[in-house]
Amino acid sequence: MKLLVTGASGFLGEHVVSAALRRGHTVRAMIRPASDVTRLPWHEDTNVEIVRADLRQRRGLEDAVRGCDGVIHLAAAMGGDFYARFAGTVIATEHLLDAMTAAGVKRLIATSSFSVYDYRRLRMGSTLDERSPLEARPDDRDDYARTKLIQEQLVRDRAQRDGLELTVLRPGAVFGAHHLWTARLGRQLGNNRWLRTGAWAHVPFTYVENCAEAFIACIDAPQTVGRTYNVLDDDRPTQRRYVALLRSRMKPRLRLLRANFTLLRSVAALAGLTNRLVFSGRAKLPMLLSSAKLLALTKPLRYTNAALKTDTAWSPRVGLIDALDRSLAAEREAGQSAKD
Amino acid sequence: MTDMIPPLRAATIGSGKISEEHLKFLRAGDPAQLVGVCDLSPALAAWSARQFGAAAAYTDHRVMLEEAKPQVVHVLTPPHTHEAIITDCLAAGAHVITEKPVAPTHAQFTALWQAAQRAGVLLIEDHNYRFNAPVRELGAIIDRGELGEIVEVEVRMSLNVRGEGNRYADRNLPHPSHRLPCGVIHEFITHLCYLSLHLLPTSEDIRVDKAAWRNVGRRGEDDPFMYDDLDAMVSVGAGRARIRFTSQTQPDGFYVTARGTKGFAEADLFVPYLRPVVYPTGFGPLASMVSLRRVAKRLKRDARRAFWSKVLQEGSYDGLRHFLAGTYHAIATGAPPPVTFDDMDRTSRLIDALAAQAEGARA
Repeated sequence: MKLLVTGASGFLGEHVVSAALRRGHTVRAMIRPASDVTRLPWHEDTNVEIVRADLRQRRGLEDAVRGCDGVIHLAAAMGGDFYARFAGTVIATEHLLDAMTAAGVKRLIATSSFSVYDYRRLRMGSTLDERSPLEARPDDRDDYARTKLIQEQLVRDRAQRDGLELTVLRPGAVFGAHHLWTARLGRQLGNNRWLRTGAWAHVPFTYVENCAEAFIACIDAPQTVGRTYNVLDDDRPTQRRYVALLRSRMKPRLRLLRANFTLLRSVAALAGLTNRLVFSGRAKLPMLLSSAKLLALTKPLRYTNAALKTDTAWSPRVGLIDALDRSLAAEREAGQSAKD
Repeated sequence: MTDMIPPLRAATIGSGKISEEHLKFLRAGDPAQLVGVCDLSPALAAWSARQFGAAAAYTDHRVMLEEAKPQVVHVLTPPHTHEAIITDCLAAGAHVITEKPVAPTHAQFTALWQAAQRAGVLLIEDHNYRFNAPVRELGAIIDRGELGEIVEVEVRMSLNVRGEGNRYADRNLPHPSHRLPCGVIHEFITHLCYLSLHLLPTSEDIRVDKAAWRNVGRRGEDDPFMYDDLDAMVSVGAGRARIRFTSQTQPDGFYVTARGTKGFAEADLFVPYLRPVVYPTGFGPLASMVSLRRVAKRLKRDARRAFWSKVLQEGSYDGLRHFLAGTYHAIATGAPPPVTFDDMDRTSRLIDALAAQAEGARA
């Protein structure tokens, strides 16, 4: 198949293109006008055609889509305020969908996120799967979650209206080189301290190579049309185990500060109550003081990847330990190249 | 009194970041009934309509004008689109509240104003920072004569527009303001000019003595910035204003200083505070100490206010709410609007004079 991959130079996109090539597909890799292609391992591959476009404007999109058999849509805004994210995630998707309709391309793999779920409505220790409820009060969540929710609804509406063959993938916490510490583990304090928020919650990790292969497995499997899948690895460590594994491989080690989840949850609940009673809910609370945000990142839950494994030939190929070692080796190599 | 005035049918065009502040006012206020929001993106228009309780979402402003028949339209699109959109709104008989600048040149502003006069409606440019608490307080201090006669004003904006992730520095999709006559600074220059003119004694004699337009951080041939630095000296009658925009100095801030024959006062509009320095009479050599003590007390109070303002996400747009409330009252009652033709005309003329120097710099 000839695939258009948007966001191809991103963290996940780079690996999705590689995975597509390994499966014998040809790729039209869409990257933004100012992106550096030379760092991408496939930039001189003859099966890759690089197109430069910014999805926030329509110019050139129809031509970029025309002639492709399917689109893997990864591009999204990863920073900025709500309106910048809306433009880079939702309006970008709107433009892509318009271009697909104009070019007559029907097959779409859309990237959603674990952030769309409503963690407040899930019981502690219950299993989160594709049927779990979506966030009912998006305004309580961060701008990333808010825009991903709007984006997912948009692709569903347009798929129904325009007869697209849609598969929605919701990757968990994607990790790999330079993306080993995630908000689901806590947050960095200063240069060499890490505040671990909780200990026993399992983290829905997916190693970037495994995740990329899931996208290609879906495009290769017609039975995934009309379905939604969570993408996560088999080995889903607790926060405590993952941080320990990571720290044992690092030099120098980050200094670890531990915050108890129950205590954090209680403080956040109190802050929320105060906000409602005193400020009529007008205060913008940071992650640690917002129940909705805190629970979305650290609530102890169980996860499953059974649906994706049942419907496709995909299985996570790289285990957790191997993934960590590969990632750290890649970081060391990049650091050495930068020095040279 | 406003309770007795029936709400005006209001609509917005453009649903970007600034629209949020206008829509919060329209959602919360009695003076308006939000009959429509419009944006080129159907998703953004629909989201704005849901979020702020608009009766309908549109992607074509002409259709909205025809169907929703708003009495007041807020034009919140990028400046280069204003002329065509405002013309359509005026032709539809709607009062227009527009983000700054009304138009890139004074000639275009004048043409739009005349069109508004012909249509019998108001055209009002958002001069929101004039109505922020520190500027209102500064105005009251000046009016009470506490600073004496104002002879110098400095308006300085420090904004890291070249910073990583800043929307003006985006090389993938250059910001539309790069296409304005003075580039990105044109996006902010209206604020700098109307504040200078507002704080100095009124005079029709407005001259640019010197204006240095520079591109200090220029990065290569494909640098999207025309200028990132302005240092201008302006004479307004006997008063002098220094108008300064810089992308180099940090932290980001918007500082206004008015100096008079008896004292001076300095305000920051981003982290709102006001520091009036006036030596009280009757304290002899201790006057400076007494003044310092009063300043410290005031700063402590302003720091508390700034903290709660931050917690409650009030941002630096409190002036916009005052401006809109005054504008709606003026439209509904026929009272003078908070921003008059003279305010806009003098501001636009000063911008034109500064832009002429920019043209000279390019030449």
